[in-house]
Amino acid sequence: MNQQFWLTGDRTLFWEEEKVLIVSDLHFGKTGHFRKSGIAVPQSVYKEDLQRLVIQIQHFQPRQLIIVGDMFHSHANKELELFLKWRADLSGLEIQLIRGNHDILKEDWYLHAGIKLSQTTLSMNRFHFVHDIVDLKQRDGAFKEHTPGSSPYFFSGHIHPGIRVHGMGKQSLCFPCFYFGKEYAVLPAFSRFTGVAMIVPEEEEQVFAIVNDSVMQLQ
Amino acid sequence: MSLQQTKGYQVILAWLESKGIEPFAFQEETWQHIIDGHSGLVNAPTGCGKTFAVFLGAVIDFINEFPEDYRTRPANRLRLLWITPLRALAKDIGRAMTEVLEELGMKWKVGIRNGDTEISEREKQKRQMPEVLIITPESLHLLLAQKNYPEIFKKLMILAVDEWHELLGSKRGVQVELAVSRIVHLIEAYHQLLPDGGHELHEDMFERQSGEKHVNKNPATETFPLSVWGISATIGNLEQAQEVLLSSLLHKINYPPVTVKALIEKRIEIESVIPDEIEKYPWAGHLGIKLVHKVIPIIEKSRTTLIFINTRGMSERWYQEILNVAPELAGAVALHHGSIDRELRLWVEEALHSGKLKAVVCTASLDLGVDFRPVETVIQVGSPKGVARFLQRAGRSGHQPGELSKIYFLPTHSLELVEAAALKTAMKLNFIESRDPMMLCFDVLIQYLGTLAVGEGFYPDPLFREIASTHCFRDITAEEWKQILHFITEGGEALQQYDEFRKVEVIDGLYKINGRRVAMRHRLHIGTIVSDAMMKVKFMSGGYIGVIEEYFISRLNPGDVFTLAGRNLEFVMIKEMTAIVRKSNASKAIVPSWNGGRMPLSANLGLMLRKKFNEAWLVAEGKAVPDIELCALKPLFELQQKLSHIPKEDELLIEQIETGDGFHLFVYPFEGRLVHEAMAALLAFRISRITPITFSFAMNDYGFELLSDQPIPVDDSNVYELFSLNELGLDIQRSVNSAEMARRKFRDVAVIGGLIFQGYPGEHKKTRHLQSSAGLLFNVFSEYDPHNLLLRQAYHEVMEQQMEEGRLRNMLDRIGKSRIVIVFPEKLTPFCFPLKVDSMREDLSSEKLEDRIKKMQRQLSRG
Repeated sequence: MNQQFWLTGDRTLFWEEEKVLIVSDLHFGKTGHFRKSGIAVPQSVYKEDLQRLVIQIQHFQPRQLIIVGDMFHSHANKELELFLKWRADLSGLEIQLIRGNHDILKEDWYLHAGIKLSQTTLSMNRFHFVHDIVDLKQRDGAFKEHTPGSSPYFFSGHIHPGIRVHGMGKQSLCFPCFYFGKEYAVLPAFSRFTGVAMIVPEEEEQVFAIVNDSVMQLQ
Repeated sequence: MSLQQTKGYQVILAWLESKGIEPFAFQEETWQHIIDGHSGLVNAPTGCGKTFAVFLGAVIDFINEFPEDYRTRPANRLRLLWITPLRALAKDIGRAMTEVLEELGMKWKVGIRNGDTEISEREKQKRQMPEVLIITPESLHLLLAQKNYPEIFKKLMILAVDEWHELLGSKRGVQVELAVSRIVHLIEAYHQLLPDGGHELHEDMFERQSGEKHVNKNPATETFPLSVWGISATIGNLEQAQEVLLSSLLHKINYPPVTVKALIEKRIEIESVIPDEIEKYPWAGHLGIKLVHKVIPIIEKSRTTLIFINTRGMSERWYQEILNVAPELAGAVALHHGSIDRELRLWVEEALHSGKLKAVVCTASLDLGVDFRPVETVIQVGSPKGVARFLQRAGRSGHQPGELSKIYFLPTHSLELVEAAALKTAMKLNFIESRDPMMLCFDVLIQYLGTLAVGEGFYPDPLFREIASTHCFRDITAEEWKQILHFITEGGEALQQYDEFRKVEVIDGLYKINGRRVAMRHRLHIGTIVSDAMMKVKFMSGGYIGVIEEYFISRLNPGDVFTLAGRNLEFVMIKEMTAIVRKSNASKAIVPSWNGGRMPLSANLGLMLRKKFNEAWLVAEGKAVPDIELCALKPLFELQQKLSHIPKEDELLIEQIETGDGFHLFVYPFEGRLVHEAMAALLAFRISRITPITFSFAMNDYGFELLSDQPIPVDDSNVYELFSLNELGLDIQRSVNSAEMARRKFRDVAVIGGLIFQGYPGEHKKTRHLQSSAGLLFNVFSEYDPHNLLLRQAYHEVMEQQMEEGRLRNMLDRIGKSRIVIVFPEKLTPFCFPLKVDSMREDLSSEKLEDRIKKMQRQLSRG
């Protein structure tokens, strides 16, 4: 069962056969949350995140948008009204959210926004979607539940993976990245208002860095 | 009024006579100025009674005012506000003052207010301010964040700023400037509202219109009701230091402010500790800890010795090592630095006073003028980086007028012996550095506006004039002011109807912070100017050990062992903004590297150093020179001369060496680490215009290194052009953009400006969603709000301080007139070795990013 996945420099993953656009860690409402507390972060970063997502949706025309967690940063604030307006303009799109640790809004809220909520995982054929893969593995009962079928594969987010590249002359650079291991993949955080956590991949694993908005395979 | 005829003077003189002391001329001069209501600056070397010059002046003034009942007069409210940069100083000065007051039989109380002050004591002060309050700049700003703070200062007569030379040139100095401007205007407004000094009116401390309509007295016959006094050790720009401090007072007084100088000569003797074998001594080892056996006899023969170490990390190592080598000193040696628990620090200070300790290993935490009489000897380990700092530290010994100050210099790598020789000469010539005041620190201003908004609130128009009266903000434009107000009220650019920015609110023209949580967060923020992102360290069982930089902890894994306060600690976890540790018996531990203490070499010392290499050259030629330090370095100089060259004063040496790491270009301007960092970026940028090439940089106080994976095209044909002054400003801007120096500066700026919230103590969970790194904010602002004031300030600070543009310009001018010597040594030289191992590196590239990564990968796969 060969499947095609497209990686984009805008930090999205498109599953061609199923017409599913997969993203992680949108952190919508984060700038609003900061601003409400008197920390003057520019809101345009949020506005652009929404615009970038529209462009991706217009480009791939997905049947479904899967968000592997942390769609919203914190409690509801006015910024989310802009999201709801955005959502109304794309009412035909199915949105599926796997709850992340930041997704602390009331269930009604998601319902009202037309977002289907999965508490821990979502499965499609041999592919499974989860927010925090490490957390899932630690609760190994849950992990095994998904393993009986032949070689399941997980898509996850949460850690905002980044990769450091070293070169001669003691040079080093770091970038957000997609990580593809044997059992699971970790998506980069979609939001531009997020930092990265450095990962150190094994040799056989694949890493794609996002360099100036385009994707580069590193290994 | 002549001082000698006053009752106050007679009382003080009688008291001094009873102790067998005679006042110094400069003290009497200051007293006279104080009773005349003048303001000014007192300059005297450490340990010569600077404190008494101002403090006793305040006492005399009071006795003169109430000659009959000065002893019994109770509750006179705050009369003397004493600003001091260090907590360690407060206690000592407070004790000295209390002693005097008790002996005079006066009812005055002396209070201390800083981060260490107990809440109960603060409450007591709130109800009843003492007559003398000793305070740090941060705590003074916290006072300004209180409601009704104007009440506190109503009867203030003297505002004294101790160790002003230490504060000047720092953001805490800017805090002092702002506080002075506030208090000066407060007192002015208060007195203008008192007709004939009669009954008090309930005044609005910030009149909405200009205060001019209230002026009904002739200023020419009037002295200002408040005297402001700076107290400073000798620096190169004393006159300017005075101007900066008194800036907001200058147009309110009709006499020129005075500078009182103590003409007391302090005898200082310097001796270098010279390693037995220079050639075996590691050039690069930056600890010098191998010389510890030479320190023990020095400790043994003096009553008490202070050992100054430049960084907290190394002070931990030294403390351990002294005890290893001389276990018999256990209990008689102590460690003192800013990260150590306050109880322990206080204990050390007490023990120093009573002479119980043989030695204290310390950092700049014991730099300032505390009077530790038993200290006979000072050892400076590593370069003090400047003449003034060295003088100050030397003055820590023989802390009595007329006594000899003895200081030993112990190099941490052998080249530092040249610095010792340079220091000696500089001290002989009294060639002392200036402290340049900071200009337009918008981060401090934004914090200050928040402070006032939390307290009484402010009206922008009168406050603008007030702020513009300080030296720091004298060039602020109306446009900048507008932007700042916009930033704190609207939060910059926003998505109108979707925004809930909430910080400073404007109600009937009054700018005020009403949100309780915003106010609380702001109060916690005041003080971040000194401590950036510090984390408490506690035992699992609960015992508190000290604080440590968050970034150091963030690099540790559970199980790692590190040293703090002389103990080996195993890191367990981070819990609620506290690092939890347990005791460890591991023999190896990581020594925390603290950001502080990495002062760059001063321009003065750099100049002296270059002169000394003239003599070094003579040494290498086998000729005799007077400095024993230089003679001791003969083997090193000979090797340098053989492999490369020793640059004379009018030469610039460049070494190009190829090693397994790649192609190195070493340049030795001897201008200090910061200027070298800028020069490295500039040179890298200029070379990268010749050909696509990528560098990493390293620098120390003597020179810098560019390292590349391809040959660096620098030779006789283009080298003068590469160091030219042409288009310097433009090239600096371009190279700063690429080199991202601003990103590092932004961290401090963002913390002070309130963009980074470090969490409440013990309230980690609730604020986790508010945390972000400075690097991330820097990216977001650069991309989405590039005109942001704080972002611009980060760049501005890079230019002013990091690049030290003025100094860079002078250096290039000098190099343009020098002979540039390019050599191609076959192997690493004594000069380049310390640089080779320096890890402070930065990147600058003109290659396309994608190309760079591909190249790195090719190299990696080959490797």
